[in-house]
Amino acid sequence: MSLAAIWEFIAGDSRRAPLAVALAVAVAVVLLRNSVPSTVVATAFAGIIALGLAASVFEAR
Amino acid sequence: MNGWTLAGTSFLASAVEAVEALTIVLAVGVTRSWPVALRGTAFALLVLGLIVALFGPLLHLVPIDQLKLVVGIVLTLFGLAWLRKAILRYTGRKALHDEDAAYAREVSALRAAEEAQADRIGLVTAFKAVLIEGLEVAIIVVTFGAASSAALGWSAAGAGAAVLLVIALGLALKQPASRVPENAMKFVVGIMLTSFGTFWTGEGLGIAWWGADLSLLLLAAFYLAVSAALVAAARVRGRVPA
Repeated sequence: MSLAAIWEFIAGDSRRAPLAVALAVAVAVVLLRNSVPSTVVATAFAGIIALGLAASVFEAR
Repeated sequence: MNGWTLAGTSFLASAVEAVEALTIVLAVGVTRSWPVALRGTAFALLVLGLIVALFGPLLHLVPIDQLKLVVGIVLTLFGLAWLRKAILRYTGRKALHDEDAAYAREVSALRAAEEAQADRIGLVTAFKAVLIEGLEVAIIVVTFGAASSAALGWSAAGAGAAVLLVIALGLALKQPASRVPENAMKFVVGIMLTSFGTFWTGEGLGIAWWGADLSLLLLAAFYLAVSAALVAAARVRGRVPA
């Protein structure tokens, strides 16, 4: 089983959803390092992932 | 803390972890197959048994946050892919049954390859969930039972009772869960995997979730609301001529 096949099975054929997850992780790391309250970080984190889901639903395939 | 209080605390804490593992195992069992889910669970319990037997007293040194970060990201990606597919199917942008597509023979060959791959991923998903939650239960037992061997006994008894109760719950839910329509199940599983993935990734990054494990329910409610809104929006958008 190739790495590309594993990746496609896990992440599907959307490009936007994995980008949103990467962005959510990066934003959370930056916010946590700047001592932003966890509630704010958690909201931003889940919010970016939800936006990624929305973007992936309307993604041209 | 007396013995019963210790056992009760260990019971409650372990039950939460066991329910989290059960949710993933049920999801894999219903959407892939029960043998795959149970094999993943059995492998995880075997590895867990070996870890506890070999490193029992050192369990608190396991880098559980790093493990959660990696597993959480994979679960989030997996959950988003399933949720997206289920939303597209609800809105009619994707066929409800792939087997209705043309070129049935080619499609069925592709599906066979996909099925084998899916089984492997399903097995790994159940394995990781049971291993992580099992490790947490083991850490709970060791932490609560650190005071004495009697305390360890009470703590282990509480955790053991919780795990047995959750297994019985899983057996009771197996049949009803199998009767839910495929796309509805994938929609629900997508929400659950995305919620767990978000929660674990967040914990791995160091986010202190409001209400601890309770925020899993909030995340599930949030993703359910977002997904329902997306189904409605995609349907409306589908009616507008290009």
